[in-house]
Amino acid sequence: MSQGQNDTLTKIVVISSDSVLPIDAAMRIYQSDTNIVIKETCFGTMVTGPRDAVNRVVREVVDLDRNHIFVKERGFLPGDERRCRSSRGGGPRPGFHYLRHEVQMLPTIGKALDAYDRKAPLKEIGSKKKLDVDKLEDMIKSEL
Amino acid sequence: MVKVIIYPTNSLILSDLVERFGHKPIAMMEKIKEKISTVSVDSPPLNITPEEPKMGLKYAAVEVPAGVRGRMAIVGPMIEEAQAGIIVNDSPMAFGCMGCARTNELTKYLIRQREMPILEVDYPREGNDEEAKGFVYKIAEFLKSLPGDEEEDKA
Amino acid sequence: MSDKSVVKVALVSCGSEYAGVHKELESVAKSVDAKLVFPEIDVSSLDTIGRDFGIEAASPDLRLMMARAKAVVEGITDVDGVFITSCFRCAEAAIVRNELRRYIHKHSDIPVISYSFTERTTAATLMTRMEALTTIARRKHLLAREHQTGLTAGIDSGSTTTKAVVMKDDKILGTGWVPTIKVIESATEAFDKALEQAGVRREDIQAIGTTGYGRFLVGEHFNAQLVQEEITVNSKGAVYLANKQKGPATVIDIGGMDNKAISVDDGIPGMFTMGGICAGASGRFLDMTAKRLGVDITELGALAVKGMQNKVDMNSYCIVFGIQSLVNSLAKGATPEDVAAAACHSVVEQIFEQQLQEVDVKEPLILVGGSSLIEGVPKALSELLKIEVLVPPNSHMIGAVGSALLASGFVEE
Repeated sequence: MSQGQNDTLTKIVVISSDSVLPIDAAMRIYQSDTNIVIKETCFGTMVTGPRDAVNRVVREVVDLDRNHIFVKERGFLPGDERRCRSSRGGGPRPGFHYLRHEVQMLPTIGKALDAYDRKAPLKEIGSKKKLDVDKLEDMIKSEL
Repeated sequence: MVKVIIYPTNSLILSDLVERFGHKPIAMMEKIKEKISTVSVDSPPLNITPEEPKMGLKYAAVEVPAGVRGRMAIVGPMIEEAQAGIIVNDSPMAFGCMGCARTNELTKYLIRQREMPILEVDYPREGNDEEAKGFVYKIAEFLKSLPGDEEEDKA
Repeated sequence: MSDKSVVKVALVSCGSEYAGVHKELESVAKSVDAKLVFPEIDVSSLDTIGRDFGIEAASPDLRLMMARAKAVVEGITDVDGVFITSCFRCAEAAIVRNELRRYIHKHSDIPVISYSFTERTTAATLMTRMEALTTIARRKHLLAREHQTGLTAGIDSGSTTTKAVVMKDDKILGTGWVPTIKVIESATEAFDKALEQAGVRREDIQAIGTTGYGRFLVGEHFNAQLVQEEITVNSKGAVYLANKQKGPATVIDIGGMDNKAISVDDGIPGMFTMGGICAGASGRFLDMTAKRLGVDITELGALAVKGMQNKVDMNSYCIVFGIQSLVNSLAKGATPEDVAAAACHSVVEQIFEQQLQEVDVKEPLILVGGSSLIEGVPKALSELLKIEVLVPPNSHMIGAVGSALLASGFVEE
């Protein structure tokens, strides 16, 4: 178990902000701690280092624009030969595709978090139930 | 602070929301990290050996394929460790690593069998901001309803 | 319910009609005086059953199975037993089948069996299972018995050996153990030995129970009160001897020619598998190994616990090719101890991989049958399953003890 406080941790920080650019985040990290290694990718910045340091730095970055910067832990270290395409050749690791997809949803999630903070009321959402077969039949008959 | 298992088990958004609201996500990434950092095992890429499908027999019979049982060897203990759960239903294939349908059916079932707070929420439809809002609101309210710990980091 | 009435069995199945085996299911039910019925369901529940039950199976027929199982549990359909069955090799069905079995077991006291069929499944294959299911439904009062009372005898007429015991008030007074040559003669010899050791006469015995392959012949010969298949008898006998009558247990019986893995709850068998297709997964494999090593079968166990199975390369579980690997490894420097350990490991691993598929291995794990006396076997099983393996005293007399125990139900009647 990686429960120790000073084991090595990698977190991926995905910026979906109008006010903070990935380079701003990277600069913030560069300035903060010498023990930390970062790698910028198309979808975010990977931050690797001792657990406490990574958590501290990532919190600072998130605070730049709380509702529009998202973080998750990552299993492999950046460039791990078992996973990285630079050593394996071919396409990316499977998680790349999924991350790319999820990132597209972040602006919507960010807006929803803003609304939640403002306590904006929620409108009634229609049900997603499937149409009853009898109703469908009635509709078909009425068209004939 | 409670340990919240998320489904899909490695979603960026779910993992982030759980941590953002002061809890600990029980997610696949951390478990994979444990696996791949075990130096005594050399079975790349995930350091999963033929032993894992055997361990998975705890959750599924031998007739269930090895890949399902190998996955369950990781996911099963996560479900046991969790104190609460969030399940996102009807999500697109690429919301978190969706993996194997059989494993997913069993994973969701076993989460549902646990006597703990569980939130089931539908994935919002494309272009429907109000649904996305509802999605985030429900998750936020659920996480706030769980016992908290103000000292916890919100990294 | 009485011993004579028709047992109503809910058929919770997927694919049996299209696999061509439905007729076989009907036929086996009829032969044990049972009737298969489809539980009534509300069709609209099929759209929501995935979430309601918890498994959002892709297959509608598996959802139908869930709805039917729910109808049984909720008492909408009144049945005495449940038979859950689906196609072998369907992963989704295997998951649903197992969870349904657990669900019915947890939420009702209706006995349930499950089986995965192929197009080759015949009524004969299912016979012992159905017999056990109907026994559990018809004779629940008998299976609830936890103590042997009075003076009773049990005879287990097995394919390789015949065992007999004489018991009085939870104590084994005498035992007999002989190779099976002619069913009646061997049973008589074993029984006489047990009587002699117990110091009682045959006419003093208040009730007799028989089990094993020769149970009908022997039962008729001795006018036995109880003639019972070995699944029920052995599960009862195992939890009784191991003193684990309450709660879950798993019984593995590795006999001379076949083996059984039974998942038991409160002494009542739930799930079971029976081997018998492959000699490599039986006591016979160990017997052959002992012969090739030039030791008596009773010495093999002590050798095995001293050996390291991983020093021997075995390419096959087969009784011919696997044993050839064992012999070859001797030439490459493996010791007889290593070979004995590898043989035990091979038998146990094959049972584990190919037979425990229908059984939930829940602790305590009780190992019985002749092979349980070969110390290397429980050791290998324990290493493989990573749980403690219990070998109760008199584990090789399991069928006879179980029969004597159950027969004592007839002493009071």
